[in-house]
This record gives sequence, C-alpha cells and structure tokens, in this order.
Amino acid sequence: MAIRSEPAAAAPPVRAGRRELAPGRLALVMNLPTLLTMALVLAYPIGYAAWLSFHRVGPAQLRRGEFPWAGFDNYVRLFDDPLFLLSLRNTFVFVAIVVVVEIVLAVAIGLLINQQRVWTSRITRVLILLPYAIPPIANGLIWSFLYSFQFGFLNRILFTFGLIEEPVNWAGHPETALYAVTVPYIWRTLPFAVLLVHAALQGIGTELHEAAAVDGATAWQRFRHITLPLLLPIIVVILVLRTSFAFTVFEEIRAITQGGPGDATWVAAWYSYKKAFEPPNDIGLGAASAWVLALIVGALAIVYVKTIYRRIH
Amino acid sequence: MRDTASGWSRRDLLGVSAGALAAAVTGFHDPHRALAQAGPWAVAPKSKVDELNFVVWTYGDIYTKISKKFTEDWGVKVNGTISAFNDHPTKLMTMFAGGETIDVSQSSPFSFANFIAQGLVEPLDGLPGAAEYAKDFTGFTKQVAIQGGKVMGLPYFSAVWVWNYHQDLMDKTKLEPFKSYEELLEQCRKVKKDGICQYPILWVAGVGLEQLPGTWYQMTWNRGGTFFDKDGRHQLGPGSIARETLRWWAATFKEELADPESLKVQFTASAKAFGAGKNLYRGPNHHYGLNVANDPAQSPTAGKAKVWGSPGDGRTVGVTHVYFLCTANRDKEWAWKLLQYLGGRTKDGRYTQAENLARDAMLGSGYQSVMDSEVIKTGWAPWGDVAAILEIWKKATYLGEVVNSMYQPWHFPWSDRLNIEVQKCLTGQIDADRACDNLIKAIDEVKRA
Repeated sequence: MAIRSEPAAAAPPVRAGRRELAPGRLALVMNLPTLLTMALVLAYPIGYAAWLSFHRVGPAQLRRGEFPWAGFDNYVRLFDDPLFLLSLRNTFVFVAIVVVVEIVLAVAIGLLINQQRVWTSRITRVLILLPYAIPPIANGLIWSFLYSFQFGFLNRILFTFGLIEEPVNWAGHPETALYAVTVPYIWRTLPFAVLLVHAALQGIGTELHEAAAVDGATAWQRFRHITLPLLLPIIVVILVLRTSFAFTVFEEIRAITQGGPGDATWVAAWYSYKKAFEPPNDIGLGAASAWVLALIVGALAIVYVKTIYRRIH
Repeated sequence: MRDTASGWSRRDLLGVSAGALAAAVTGFHDPHRALAQAGPWAVAPKSKVDELNFVVWTYGDIYTKISKKFTEDWGVKVNGTISAFNDHPTKLMTMFAGGETIDVSQSSPFSFANFIAQGLVEPLDGLPGAAEYAKDFTGFTKQVAIQGGKVMGLPYFSAVWVWNYHQDLMDKTKLEPFKSYEELLEQCRKVKKDGICQYPILWVAGVGLEQLPGTWYQMTWNRGGTFFDKDGRHQLGPGSIARETLRWWAATFKEELADPESLKVQFTASAKAFGAGKNLYRGPNHHYGLNVANDPAQSPTAGKAKVWGSPGDGRTVGVTHVYFLCTANRDKEWAWKLLQYLGGRTKDGRYTQAENLARDAMLGSGYQSVMDSEVIKTGWAPWGDVAAILEIWKKATYLGEVVNSMYQPWHFPWSDRLNIEVQKCLTGQIDADRACDNLIKAIDEVKRA
C-alpha cells in the first residue's frame, strides 16, 4: 500500500525554472570561474610555450608573428647539449637537498612552535615567517654578501669561533657553490613548509597523545606512531609543492653565482632563461627546455601521489 | 629629395639656412654660439610627438640630466627604461619581441652584431648630420659604429684597458711596478711571503661579455696573440698565445696569488674591492675604474689607486659602446634627435653628454674632437694621471681586431661558453688545453645554433 506523504510545511516554495542544481552540476558551476581564470593565466601560456617549442622563434619572429616550423629540432638540440644535461643533474641535486632538509626542518620547527606551554613559541612563530616576506632576489643579494670571501659575515663568524683557519670561498668554489646556494633558498622557503606542518599539528587531537602516555609510550614513540603518520598527508603535499618550486629555482642563482663558477651552478631554469632571454634569444629552445622541466615535475608529482599518498589513504 | 653626399635633404638645408641667418642676427656677439645653432642638431623635426623613449643600462644619473635637457630644449617628454649592464640585452630584446616602441637604445660592441642581425638597428645614413658625425669618429668608434659601410650608431663612450696598483702597498714593498709578467709573479710571491698581501692580484674575472673575457683578450693581445684572425679562423690551438696566456693566468689562482673574489667581481665591484686596499694590483680593466677606486665617497683609500701600463711594448685593447636608432621607433626624425642628445650634439651644438661623461665618470669619448679637447685633461684629472692614461690610449687597438668574432651574431653565445670554460680552468676543474679545445668545439656548435 502506497503511503502518500504530505509536503513538509517548512520547505520553501519552489518556483518554476529555479530548481536547486544537482550537487555535481553545482560543483561544476562553482568551479567554472576558477577553471576559466586558470585556463587563461596558466594553461594558455603553458600551451603557447609548448607550441613555441616546436618552432624556430627569436625576437624578430615574435615581433613579425612568423614562426617557421622546427618539428622536434629544438628537443634534439636540447638533449645534444651537455650543458643542459649538466643543468638537469645540478637541478636534481639541488631539489633533493632542498626538499629533504626542508621537510626535516619543517617538522622539527613545527613541533617546536606547537608547544602551547612554552611562551617563546609565540615569538618563534612570528620570527619564522620573516624570511618568507623577503623578495627572492633580495634574499640572494643578502646571502651573496654573507658569503663574500674576504669580507663576508659567515667567514668572520666561523673564524671568530675558531671553526675555520682560512676564509672559505663558499659561493666561488666549484665544490661548494651548489650547496651554498641551497642554504639561502631553504632559508627563504622553509616558512611555507613550517606553516603547513604547524597547521596539520593543530588538527591532531591531544587525546591520542594522552592515551598513549597513559599506556607508557615515550615521547619518541608517540611521535613515531601517532604524530608522524598523521602528518604524512601534509608531508606529501609539501613534497609535491616544494619539489615543483625547487625545480624552478632561479633568483638565488641569478643573484649569488650566475651559474658559476664555470658551470657549477647551472640549473634548468637558469638554462631556459639564458637560452631564451639572452642573445641570440633562442626562444624555441628555451621553451623546449622549460617544457622538459615541466614534464619532469609533473611525472614526479604523479609518482609521489601514487606511491605515498594512496598508500596512506 | 635627399642629397646623399652630405646626408641633408633640401628641406633640412633650407631650415639650417634660416637658422643660420637668425643665429647670425641674434648671436652677433657670440660667433661660436651662432655657428653651433646653425647645425642640423638645432633644427626641429617637422613631425610632432608627445613623448620619446630610450632603453639603456644604468650609469649614475646621466640619463635624468640629458632627458631633462631634451625636454627643456624641445618640449618633448622622454621616458627611460634603465636596467643593469648585463641585463640590458635581455630587457631590450624582450621589449622588442613584445612589440613595444623603442626609439633609441644602446649596445656594447659585443652585442651589436646580434642586434643588427635581429633587425633592431636602423642605419643612420642620410639623416641630417650623420656624415659629419662619422667624420669625427675615433678609430675605435669607426670599427664598431660603421658596419658594412653604413653608419649604424653614435658613440656612448670609449675605454682602454689599464693596470692599477695600490700606492700604499707598493711603498711597503719598496718595489717599482712590474715591467714583465715574470716580474709581476715574482713581486706577488714576495709580497705574499712578506705578509703584505694575502692575495696580491685582483682580476676582473666575473661572468660577463666584457669582464672575464676582456681580461683574457687584453693579456693575450699584449703578448702578441689574437683569438680570431681577419678571416675568422680561431687562434686557440695548441701552442697558441691565447692558450698559453690562459695557462699562465690559471697558475696565479693555483699559487693563490689571485684573489678568489676575482671570479665574482665585475667592473665597479672590482674597483670598489680594490679601494679596500687589500690587493697590490688590479687589472687589466677599463681605465675609468679609477673613478671609483679614487672616489672618497666609494673608497677608504681614495687617491691611492694608480694607473699602470702593460708589459712589453705596452699594447693594450680598447672599446667603444654605441647608441643606436631602433627600428621600432615611433618617429624616425624625432628618434634621431633623441639619439643625438645621447650620442652626439645637443641643440647648442655641444657634445654635452660626452663632455659630462668625461667630467662625471672619467669616460673617454668616441669623438676625436672631444678626446683632443681640454675636457678630457681637466675632467679626468681628479682621479688619475691623465697623461699616463692618454699615453696608454695611443697604444690601444680596438678589440674587434683581437676578437674578430665580435662582428658575428654567434659571438654572444660563444662568450657564454667562454665564461664557463675559462672559469672552470681558473678554478682548477680543467686545464687550459681542455678549456681551449672545448672553446674550439663550441665555435661550430654556436654557429649551427
């Protein structure tokens, strides 16, 4: 027997043609402005760069709007160039150092400033954000002064504490230059990772730690079996974001070493810049190298998500 | 209709005649003024523009002054886009590629061939007064500003490569400045051993088109070598002077006679560092570094940096940088007018910018009449021994004769490789043979690209 239900008295009257959208459609409509904006400011330039990478392009061609087809010529030249391969290698070394150090430091600092009972943690929270407010190129210049061989503060401090006997040419020696550039980069971008970790720590309930403490777990065991697993999702996010940003490091290289000494600090973004924006302005080649970089970053992001993120969930 | 012999049109000639007549009346008591106002530089273009612009690299406030003067003289606003020396080609090319209007720009001789090849540079032949300017060009200027028989630019400034020594440190050593490269090394070893200097030589070996390469070019030329002959064949093979010079140069780093900061410093930075008084020698580099090293506002040891010539017959190198009229200009006649304010004569007939540059910045001029004038002698005097510098000037050869590739569009990317290979050699990663072999290989690569 069918039961006819009466319409709910509290439900607002539905006017013809003004029915509520289905959740899927609503989501689409809500996302559409963002999608269009992203397509305009991100997808179009990226697509245009891809198109340029298959053409022979210089300033004169850009001005005239004539682009001779080059096929895969730019990509062939790119992988024939030992300097590009070296730049890629340097980029991988740079990214590996930066990402690992940033994650370790971000977790450590995040835990430190998360201590509510320690009043200094509030000050630390403010101070830790300061480097993030410094423009990258200014950061590079500051560190180039710090690294100065004869007059730099770093050597002076180390010398004063008796840690070195002779000044060290941090940014000017081929064996130390690449590592020297990682430090200012980490210093500038670490606050972003710390912020994410700190936000994630705020979301971990204290009852878990209290229960573990009652069961006799040590601080290390609580970190290892409660905090760290719950931080993993945000660590993956940091991993993906920091990897993609570190792959495009440019400003610190520009301000501190300009790729030198020799080719010791040539990285992929520096290579793209030099090829595309300095005479003879081989923009097609620069676009090709930028695209190779983008593909590598994309592939790494997929690997991260597939191997770590899905396992967590 | 244009008179190709003089570069003047009939209209220009009539304008100048009328101007001359007016000037003769008004300037009766000042014949020089009357003559100056009679030139094509005093004639207003027929067209009208609201504004003009230039794209240049920074040097003090020279562009603020000259823009102000142009606006006062002609009532046209001038906008400047000014970037750092090494960033200038990038800025200019990006603006050009982006379709922006550029009336006047400038170029180092190292980028000029590239700018011409990319279609940025408008020849000046036929423009009123261009031929007269060309007649006054110095030897250096002719070699860079006249390409393929056409006048392609007006001079910004000229410079020659000189050595500097620090008087206080030299007094401590009780020595005379070196007369040979062997003597230079002996002196450096001695002052290092005596604890007078930890690093006696500060080279200008920072990455750039003219910095590190210029140092190598100069020392090679001084020893009798070149990099490319007149037919464009490289001179970098085994036993070549360029290769042996590089080997010698790298040894100064290996022996720790050279300041490691050398690999980072460029023109001004090296002059400022030299002013700190920690190095006995600096060089060889542009003569006007003395303008910084001997400036009390920039140097704690101002007045102690002295100029010194090169060993042997004293031969050295020199360059002229140029301003050019850009093909992306908004109005050719007005752009030419602005170009003259930067690289030629102002309305009063004077080489105002060149004279100011000599007085304010110790720069040499690309015009023979300015180089021969009192402006140079009095203008340079506060910073250095003018007679000594002019003596060195006489022994200078335009860099294009040493590095013939400067006239080729591929010189710029080849310089990139040169910076890398030479810095690797100076830091001991590779030897001079490998560096030169790599550079020989790179010639074909950059030509292909």
